[in-house]
Amino acid sequence: MAIIKFENVTFRYESDEEGVALAPAVKDFSLSIEKGEFVAILGHNGSGKSTLAKLANGLLLPEKGRVLVDGMDTVNEEDDIKIKQTVGVVFQNPDNQIVATIVEEDVAFGPENLGIEPTEIRRRVDSALKTVGMYEYRKHGPHKLSGGQKQRVAIAGIIAMEPRCIILDEPTAMLDPIGRRDVMNAIKRLNRDLGITVVFITHYMEEAVEADRIVVMDDSRLLMDGTPKEVFADATKIRSIGLDVPQTCQLSELLRADGIKLKNDLLSIDELVENIDALLKGK
Amino acid sequence: MIKDITLGQYFPMHSFVHKMDPRMKLLFVTSFIVMVFLSNNFISLGFCLLVTAFVIAISKIPLKTVLKGLRPIILIIAITSILQIAYNEGGIVLVDIWRIKITSGGVLTAVFMALRISLLIVMSTMLTYTTSPTSLTNGLDRIFAPFKKIGLDFHTITMIMTIALRFIPTLIEEVDKIMSAQKSRGANFEQGNIIKRAKALIPLFIPLLFNSIRRAYELANAMTCRCYNGGQGKTTMNALKFSYRDYIALGSVAGVIASVILLNIYCGEYNAEFTFGITV
Repeated sequence: MAIIKFENVTFRYESDEEGVALAPAVKDFSLSIEKGEFVAILGHNGSGKSTLAKLANGLLLPEKGRVLVDGMDTVNEEDDIKIKQTVGVVFQNPDNQIVATIVEEDVAFGPENLGIEPTEIRRRVDSALKTVGMYEYRKHGPHKLSGGQKQRVAIAGIIAMEPRCIILDEPTAMLDPIGRRDVMNAIKRLNRDLGITVVFITHYMEEAVEADRIVVMDDSRLLMDGTPKEVFADATKIRSIGLDVPQTCQLSELLRADGIKLKNDLLSIDELVENIDALLKGK
Repeated sequence: MIKDITLGQYFPMHSFVHKMDPRMKLLFVTSFIVMVFLSNNFISLGFCLLVTAFVIAISKIPLKTVLKGLRPIILIIAITSILQIAYNEGGIVLVDIWRIKITSGGVLTAVFMALRISLLIVMSTMLTYTTSPTSLTNGLDRIFAPFKKIGLDFHTITMIMTIALRFIPTLIEEVDKIMSAQKSRGANFEQGNIIKRAKALIPLFIPLLFNSIRRAYELANAMTCRCYNGGQGKTTMNALKFSYRDYIALGSVAGVIASVILLNIYCGEYNAEFTFGITV
């Protein structure tokens, strides 16, 4: 069974003015995310991808269609806590997600709300902080950490609730390259070592390439859905909606335009080098 | 620089006082304040002074820092003393020039009042010096938890306090950023008269307010995602537990109360004359 299932979901935000209907942020959207997957959701600003994150754990409720989390409809209020425990969401700005004045107390916030035993909370907090590599900062005040460190604390706060799926809504958008790399590594560990389903919303192509599956959103709708190789093979389509392709794709595309016979699905630098090398030797 | 600000007035150190349970500290300080008010002679008050000195000594906080806490109320102490000296007539007349008449009763009362106010302030600042804001709110949360049954929800208040403390450094950083942004557009925060300067602050506060509201909205979302439901059925990771220190402190509370009452009874007559003038 899918961990998150969108069935023909339509959602629109309420307008500030009365009688003015806004265009839907998500239109007739269907998607099924399986357990253990690492899915990247791509799309430019305003394509509706952040709205998906909030729909997926019941922060927002669909206008039409329904969202099922592990079989539970997000409309049912009695399942609300269970749904939020199953699907955790990490947002863009780490500053606005940290509640407590000490790192470990912030990580404990979620489990405390769930009414878990103190000794078990301690175990979860320690293991969550170790997973994201922030254990040695457990006694620090969050205001003394860098953006990347804060974002990893925010991720630890979600892991401590032991969700089966984590949605990250552009978690690296406000970070410097080092912070971005650290956060990315922590996310990959979650998926690989802990088997947590990861839905990663981003507009960085280099990060999306790391996923098993890429979903491209455009104008509130699902545009493409496939493996990174399948999605980036169609560079013209990706460009037509205002997104870039990874640099390796760009290079192989330019080379192909010059008549060099390269494949169109080369995503990693190693792959590209290997292919060029093979071509050179073949000549 | 701006990241180095301390939250509240907490001085992190390893001492007997720092390791005490915040609830016990609150009990100690509250009963001490009541006892200072009940003291009606110099011997009882002197005993309270000794207790304060002892607490400062074992807290390892430098005396200079403690006395700094008195600075904001120097004016209040001064005014109280002057009024006491001016209006209290009792004992021997010390000075009598023109319309100014200073009596020994007045001077003693002034000293008594100044000492009383100082002790109150010093002991309360010792509480904030030795207790982190988080453990203080934690302690308050636990003390007031039973009141929930009669409809008083203190959890919300302590949660608000925690969030406020958490966001002070964030907002300071933000003020700094907005100020730089406005300065680079030619804003001037330092010159001009008071009205001009107040007006210059408008372009600072409007973005700050706007951003704070957006922050509040995002924080609410994040808290909802972490299953916050107003503290129902909430547990605590670092559950507060009384240790041997707190039982020692509990004994001291009883000791202080008993001592002050006994000293009041047995030494009350010792200075009966001006005692009447100073009992509040």
